[in-house]
Amino acid sequence: MSQDARRAEAGVSPASAAWPIRLERASVTYPNGTAALRDVTLAIEPGEIVSIVGLSGSGKSTLIRTINGLVPVTSGSVEVGPHTVSGLRGRRLRELRGHVGMIFQAFNLAERVDVYRNTLVGRFARANALRSLTGISTAEDRRIALAALDAVGMLEKVWTRAGSLSGGQKQRVAIARALSQEPRVMLADEPVASLDPPTAHAVMAELGRINAERGLTVLVNLHLMDLARQYTTRMIGLRAGEVVYDGPASEASDADFEQIYGRRIRPQDRLGAAS
Amino acid sequence: MTAAALPPAPSRAGQTVWTVVVGAVLLAAIAFLDVDWAGLLDLPRATWEYGVLMFEHPDWERLPRALFETWRSISMAWLGALLCVAVSIPLGMLAARGVGPSWLRRILRGVFAVIRAVPEVIIALILLTVTGLTPFTGALALGIAGIGTQGKWVYETIESLDDAAAEAVEAAGGGRLAVVRWALWPAALPSLMSFALYRFEINIRTSAVLGLVGAGGIGSMLSNYTNYREWSTVGMLLIVVILATMLIDAISGRIRRLIMEGAAARGMARST
Amino acid sequence: MTTAEARIPARPRTWPRTALVAGAVAAFTALTCIPAIGGVEVDLAAIARNWRNGADKMAQLLQPDLTFLPRTLQPMLETLQMALIGACFAAAVSVPLTLWAARPTNPNGVTRRLVRGVVNVVRAVPDLVYATILVALVGVGALPGLLTLFLFDLGIIVKLVSEAIDSSEHPSLEAGRAAGGTQLQLNRALALPQSLPLFANQWLYALELNVRISAILGIVGAGGIGRLLDERFGFYAYDDVSVIILEILVVVILIEVSSNALRRRLV
Repeated sequence: MSQDARRAEAGVSPASAAWPIRLERASVTYPNGTAALRDVTLAIEPGEIVSIVGLSGSGKSTLIRTINGLVPVTSGSVEVGPHTVSGLRGRRLRELRGHVGMIFQAFNLAERVDVYRNTLVGRFARANALRSLTGISTAEDRRIALAALDAVGMLEKVWTRAGSLSGGQKQRVAIARALSQEPRVMLADEPVASLDPPTAHAVMAELGRINAERGLTVLVNLHLMDLARQYTTRMIGLRAGEVVYDGPASEASDADFEQIYGRRIRPQDRLGAAS
Repeated sequence: MTAAALPPAPSRAGQTVWTVVVGAVLLAAIAFLDVDWAGLLDLPRATWEYGVLMFEHPDWERLPRALFETWRSISMAWLGALLCVAVSIPLGMLAARGVGPSWLRRILRGVFAVIRAVPEVIIALILLTVTGLTPFTGALALGIAGIGTQGKWVYETIESLDDAAAEAVEAAGGGRLAVVRWALWPAALPSLMSFALYRFEINIRTSAVLGLVGAGGIGSMLSNYTNYREWSTVGMLLIVVILATMLIDAISGRIRRLIMEGAAARGMARST
Repeated sequence: MTTAEARIPARPRTWPRTALVAGAVAAFTALTCIPAIGGVEVDLAAIARNWRNGADKMAQLLQPDLTFLPRTLQPMLETLQMALIGACFAAAVSVPLTLWAARPTNPNGVTRRLVRGVVNVVRAVPDLVYATILVALVGVGALPGLLTLFLFDLGIIVKLVSEAIDSSEHPSLEAGRAAGGTQLQLNRALALPQSLPLFANQWLYALELNVRISAILGIVGAGGIGRLLDERFGFYAYDDVSVIILEILVVVILIEVSSNALRRRLV
């Protein structure tokens, strides 16, 4: 089945083409002196699903946040599609962010707000000043948000308070939030670290499906080796802020992981099979 | 399509009814209040006029006396806070679920509620007959009056603590006293100290109020000179009160933040 | 035995810091007890001598003359009206001010510090001082009382809620920012609903405080039952005073109970 046909079946317009991501000697040094990223050069093609693997403190969170400008680079450049992130401010930066969907380890939902309004957060970048002030959304926003919820299977919980959902459900709502942005790029910062193994597999499968059906460029931070091997096509290994591995995920051997982690592999580095 | 699968939105009727009721009560309160609303329109002009009278040439000659009285207010506030905290911590702990027996808890909470309801001024007026029209009376009044709110904060703090530590002590065979000493006290201590300092901050303001009934301190000076309509002195006094209060708030706030940050770093902070 | 002892890490010595804190507290307390510089003269002997006076006064206060009750109803109603209106207006104005004063909802340091500074100055003036001066400004009656309560509540609500917002986590704001939202969108759609329990808590607390305070404001002429209280006290009519105190007590307890119930439902 062709990409476009698959997308049509998923209800997504084939017009949105995914964006590439390019980092050119990007470095990030925090004000307290920590060098989180050192001279990272990467080229990610549109439509790839890439995992970034490394231990805590390896720079994964920083790397993924340079792509939508949540963390500015101190030197080097970051390009997402036609935009150069480092030069953007204010309205243009928000416009870029509108095209980049992001999900987080802690789901980052507003717990007291219902699922519908949480999903509508994805439509922020499209609202004009008046609508921002009054908080009224358009019929178009509503349609897109509901379609996104349906795509992740959370439509029946649309009026439920986000705080009463399970971890896996929350992450799916977060994915719907990101999808309702109609993004060109999808970022996921340790999306399954707080989830149990079966749910983790379900969420990773969801990301895989989004990549396959919508052709989005997907970048996932992971610290578990088998998830990287199973769900992504390309793997980038990060250690102490530097790229130490870059190749097909399925070909990554245990020895490669030991190099990325800088130590021997332990049982807790593996997730286990989907039950 | 998706429209068919959409579950019904939850009913907002309850919320709407409540809003209408509150709105109606509010409107009734406004309508039936005997107030000269025209006075509001005059307020900006009056504020400006008196503001100029007060702050154009504040009377700095009376500053030494003002500082003396300020220290008097601070002293009343401090001693009152010490007394209040010393009494309210043990009583408050006894009033907490898991520490005191339920009959004692009810009595103590009732006492706290009564003390809370009686204005400090009344307590000061009663104490007048015992210790006279002195700052000591003011300090005692502040100490006693604060027990109501402070005691409530103490038992609320204890009850909001995580059960885990108390459970561990009980599982090891500890009785109530052991649970209090080893589980509750260390966990509650940062919050209790923070509340103690906050009581001091509140007392600084209330001591000015007590000054107005004659207990001394900067409040009495303010009241006198307002009655004499000596606005330049009132202006100077306001500046002194504002600066002193802000200074104490800042220092006390800093110390409280340090206490809570230290507690958070050791994993003991209670969530708001 | 000795090898195990040798491996024990050195015990941290916290007593110097505790001693320092205790010393500072003791020194400060000592300074507050020196009358010559304005300190308080702690006269415990007076308590021993005169405690009976206080006990007598309290006994008198425990004998209310309930026939006085009808005369207190109108002033009490005025007190309640002032308390409610003051709290409601303060609640409305407190929302934007609080969001401006807290860091997660206002990253702009300049405006944040400005709002905080103004609120701190407003908070630094005691309620009765506001009442006294406002009475001189707009005259006697309920208006100065209303304004006093408004300002007093605003100071408390903004300070406490903004501090609570500052000290809690708001992960949803990062997601909103990542989706390209403006601060206004984030505050309206995410920060406000999330902080509503914090607000509601303080609004109810402000209402409770108002009832207690507005009972006193009357002493300086700012309306409410305080004026009657002051008058009856001046006439040594303690049985009337005790009715008033009883009434205030009942109202305060009622408000506290209902606000507790409300708080539980809102969270």
